[in-house]
Amino acid sequence: MRIIVGEGSCGIAAGAHKVYESLEAAGITPQITGCVGMCFLEPIVDIYSDGGELMRRLVKVKPDDAATIAEAEKTGDLSLLDSITISDEDAAFLSKQTRIALRNCGVIDPTDINAYTANGGYIALRKVLGMTPEEVIEEIKISGLAGRGGAGFPTWFKWNAARQSVSDTKYLICNADEGDPGAFMDRAVIESDPHNLIEGMLIGAYSIGASEAVVYVRAEYPLAIVRLQEAIAQAEKAGYLGKNILGSDFSCKMRIKAGAGAFVCGEETALIESLEGKRGMPRLKPPFPAQRGYNDEPSNINNVETFANVAWIINNGGKAFAAMGTENSKGTKVFALTGKIRRGGLVEVPMGMTIKDIIYDIGGGIRGGRECKAVQLGGPSGGCIPSDKFDTLIDYKELAATGAIMGSGGMVVMDDTTCMVGMAKFFLDFTAKESCGKCVHCRIGTKRLLEILDRITKGNGLQGDIDLLTELCEAVKDGALCGLGQTAPNPVLSTIRYFRDEYEAHINEKRCPTGECADLVTYSIDADKCRGCTLCAKKCPVNAISGSVKTPHVIDSEKCIKCGQCAAVCRFDAVIKR
Amino acid sequence: MEKIKITINSTECIADKGKTILEIAKENGIEIPTLCHHENVKLYGACGICLVEGKNMPKLMRACSTVAADGMELYTDSERVKKVRAVALELLMSDHEGDCRGPCTLNCPAGTDCQGYVKQIAMGNDREAVKIIKDKLPLPASIGRVCPHPCETACRRTKVEEPISIAFLKYFAADRVLADNPYVPEAAPASGKSVAVVGGGPAGLTAAYYLALKGHGVTVYDAMPKMGGMLRYGIPEYRLPKKVLDAEIAEIESVGVKLVNNVKIGKDITLDELRKQNGAVLVAIGAWKNTGLRCKGEDLEGVMGGIDFLRRVALGEKVDIGKNVAVVGGGNTAMDACRTAVRLGAENVYVIYRRTRDEMPAEKIEISEAMEEGVNFKFLTNPAEILGENGKVNAVKLQIMELGESDASGRRSPVPVEGKFETIALDSVICAIGQKVNVAGFEELELNPWGIISSDERYFTTSLEGVFAVGDATNKGASIAIDAIGEANKAANVIDGYLYGLDTPYTAPVLSKREPDETFFEQFEKAERIKMPVRPAEERKHDFKEINLGFEECAARKEAARCLECGCHDYADCKLIRYADRYRIDTCKLAGEKHECFTERKLEIIERDQGKCILCNLCVRICREDAKQGIIGLVGRGFGTVIRPEFNKPETISVCKDCLKCVTACPTGALKLLNLK
Repeated sequence: MRIIVGEGSCGIAAGAHKVYESLEAAGITPQITGCVGMCFLEPIVDIYSDGGELMRRLVKVKPDDAATIAEAEKTGDLSLLDSITISDEDAAFLSKQTRIALRNCGVIDPTDINAYTANGGYIALRKVLGMTPEEVIEEIKISGLAGRGGAGFPTWFKWNAARQSVSDTKYLICNADEGDPGAFMDRAVIESDPHNLIEGMLIGAYSIGASEAVVYVRAEYPLAIVRLQEAIAQAEKAGYLGKNILGSDFSCKMRIKAGAGAFVCGEETALIESLEGKRGMPRLKPPFPAQRGYNDEPSNINNVETFANVAWIINNGGKAFAAMGTENSKGTKVFALTGKIRRGGLVEVPMGMTIKDIIYDIGGGIRGGRECKAVQLGGPSGGCIPSDKFDTLIDYKELAATGAIMGSGGMVVMDDTTCMVGMAKFFLDFTAKESCGKCVHCRIGTKRLLEILDRITKGNGLQGDIDLLTELCEAVKDGALCGLGQTAPNPVLSTIRYFRDEYEAHINEKRCPTGECADLVTYSIDADKCRGCTLCAKKCPVNAISGSVKTPHVIDSEKCIKCGQCAAVCRFDAVIKR
Repeated sequence: MEKIKITINSTECIADKGKTILEIAKENGIEIPTLCHHENVKLYGACGICLVEGKNMPKLMRACSTVAADGMELYTDSERVKKVRAVALELLMSDHEGDCRGPCTLNCPAGTDCQGYVKQIAMGNDREAVKIIKDKLPLPASIGRVCPHPCETACRRTKVEEPISIAFLKYFAADRVLADNPYVPEAAPASGKSVAVVGGGPAGLTAAYYLALKGHGVTVYDAMPKMGGMLRYGIPEYRLPKKVLDAEIAEIESVGVKLVNNVKIGKDITLDELRKQNGAVLVAIGAWKNTGLRCKGEDLEGVMGGIDFLRRVALGEKVDIGKNVAVVGGGNTAMDACRTAVRLGAENVYVIYRRTRDEMPAEKIEISEAMEEGVNFKFLTNPAEILGENGKVNAVKLQIMELGESDASGRRSPVPVEGKFETIALDSVICAIGQKVNVAGFEELELNPWGIISSDERYFTTSLEGVFAVGDATNKGASIAIDAIGEANKAANVIDGYLYGLDTPYTAPVLSKREPDETFFEQFEKAERIKMPVRPAEERKHDFKEINLGFEECAARKEAARCLECGCHDYADCKLIRYADRYRIDTCKLAGEKHECFTERKLEIIERDQGKCILCNLCVRICREDAKQGIIGLVGRGFGTVIRPEFNKPETISVCKDCLKCVTACPTGALKLLNLK
């Protein structure tokens, strides 16, 4: 029996390593694996049979459970673990997914190259070395693989362009600067299956003729960096990296560049600038990186998830990949399901599934039994999709038609308590801060959009503000230099498109329909319901509530800071929020 | 070299393959605006101003960086392009605080570049100064003497001690150039179009001058024997000598304006005839009728209107006013009348004014000079009745007044003190309490309820096609000369467009404004305003010779050097403001948080103004790529991005090679070369 602890960043944050230590203390020799994607159940401990069969998946494991686990291991009586075993319902989270990019995540030990090779690792690389680069590119073309970082540009096309560029020196770059709030699939891949990334990158490097590969990963991902460093060292030692790989003519070295975490550095030309040691600001395109990129040499950039599909495609054939999905979108896509969802985590599904399938069948619907209002897809560059459009397919074109984008796959679920103006403001606050400051439309445009949204949420919106927002959004989309600015208006435009009534309520009636905008809310106490228990008065951080015991209390609206604590603690439902 | 063919705005362009859209447009004389592009540095693409649209191309393209492809059909000014460009400019202007023009210029109804000519005078370039002035007003020596100078009212030097003596500096420079070698610009080639101007006052002459410079045949018709209007017949000789006015009118004549006097419209020629003979008619007939006193006895012999009185004196008529004269009113006409009365030999000259000295609308200097000349001011009095004998004035009964509540204008209203009167013996009463328009001959034109010609504020059009009107005869009625001159200059542009069938209304230029805080003025050393030397009262009160003696040259240069130079030094060359004006930007539309305004002056010879910086990054790029220095860069992100290190850091100063490439490249006035003594 093998006891395996899920130690991705999320698992560790939930206490997985403490569980690991307790297990050790209890006399077990646990192994680790990466992230299986079930964030809502971390820490997770898997029990495998010696034959490699998953016998039990234990969830929300606490260090105190170690003794029981040790007992179960010793006695073989796994029924001891029934109380912490995953429910069938929760297990459905995984069973409805199709895992390609995440195929090894939460399954193998990411720190051990042998675990990867035992699971079919580096076979694709061997296969590729027997093919011509053109044949590899053709296979990728057949697969229909498109860039998973957001833009969805055909991967083969970029590879081919870089292949066609004539130069002695070419670079292959992996964009691991995952910056969308709420997206963490790339981190999971690096932490949980680093060799899959290395193999995918090597195949790319071989195809375009690059002899140097760089992974640009944000410094906020320390565990990913460590695991990738280890993996690179192991791969070099095993002859998968370096000079004359596996005895072939193909040589390629690989290194990691830790980025300082500017969102714009996820934009490929800004990433190149940063890689060159300059300020992270986008360059004009053309020339495209495939023509003149890093160090002015032909360069190809793909993101982590894109590379994570490559070895599978080579092993299984482009056709097998293309068999999944829709006419325009092939294969699978990983989503980071977050927000007001019951089962949040990483979800990999074939293209062509509906949003509803993901939210309800996999995600289990809305937490707390509330109404689902919308999802924000594609992070700050994306848009919202209202619940009445949840039949929309996961497909680049279909999603774009709604005003959202596939993006990198951040899927934030919102229930009826979320103010959509506030949501747009949240994302604009992000993009305005992350704007590099180079082009006018983005630097000042996002700032002004944010200011207008801010005044609307504070009850100072002006007549005509919706039109002004729309006009400014369109101009920013048209005028901004890079993808950051060109897509920054999307959250505003799509919320105006689907939730215009909420904007109007804020502007015309100075009212936030969800009550989320603190400036537009007043708290008062219903004298008929209040029993004078004094609890609210005690909780109030600014002493805005007065009243004697057993008599109705009163809120001084001048003092009230609208923190909502009174409403939260009241047991008689006497606090009225308007 | 392989060639490609593209079209830009339907113009076919053949160009070398590999060239950018911007380069090809430039070769073909098509201007595509850009703020951040510079030939000496690498492509950058930040400003978003050079965007162009291509047929069947979903995205707009940056002309600076997009290499043209054969067959492209491009539009540099499509609606979509204009919109995006305008928003970029609105965004830039929302974070640009520039003081484009000084308060003097902004407050001058004619928009004269006061700062510009004062600077030229300070540097000793009087001719340059006159050139600048004549861009807006063709009578600088005359106006410099008589203008109540709203420019000086607005002058920020007042916050240090006193305003610059702008008007008299103009008079100084104009006199010198007039005496030396008059400046008359060359007129454009004849257009073959003609304009009739009715009224040879400041408005009519101004319009005639600018229309003639544009090549049009202009004839000025005037009812009086000589040109000049109120400048000649309303302003006494001692303030504006006729020979100065004559010289300036001669200059106007010399650009080709035809001057015809003693012509009354409706009598000698009709408006209709003028319309038939000319492409356009401009009515600038002024306001030549006195407002009556509306009290008993105003019909008595010896009661006359202020402007009638001044006109008769100017015409050389013998006006019998007797020894005791009262002038009613508190404005500049009243001052001209009472001081003229003194010069005609009256022994007792009274000014009857119903409020106090503080409320008088006349120029302060006029009041004090009148007092020096012995005029007796009867403040807080109002004529209740003019008394007479045998149909002739012999006294006035004055109602004693006191100041009551403030009225809408903020002035305290005079109210009669019940039953208190004073009677003074008089030979004549001159009423200078207002002017009306005499519309005889122009009955066809639509009038406003006050009997004044209605004229459009942007087009200066009247109710008759092809007939324009400006000055005292229009809208709000009588005002100061510079007001009429301003309108006339604007109307000349509108009429010029009209003659060619173009729609060219006057539009106020788009500007950025800044008001420095009080601490700003602390840096300046106090330097007193230089007073205009005048002849002593005892001497001057007996004749009509000019009372001002004029500035000595060194005094004028010193006075001009007091100018704080509030307006942006780069206004004429600022690309941002030029584009903002071209696209008629609403500078407040996208108002929001701005960068703090401050200047960094310590770098020996360059001053950097954060308020004006539009972050085109040209200074940084020029310094790095062209000057090979790289001593400045960008710091911060998003809206908070700024250029650093500060120009005043010692380490920056020590490495800067003073090549000034950054100053030259800056598209706005954010970088300024400091004057080195």
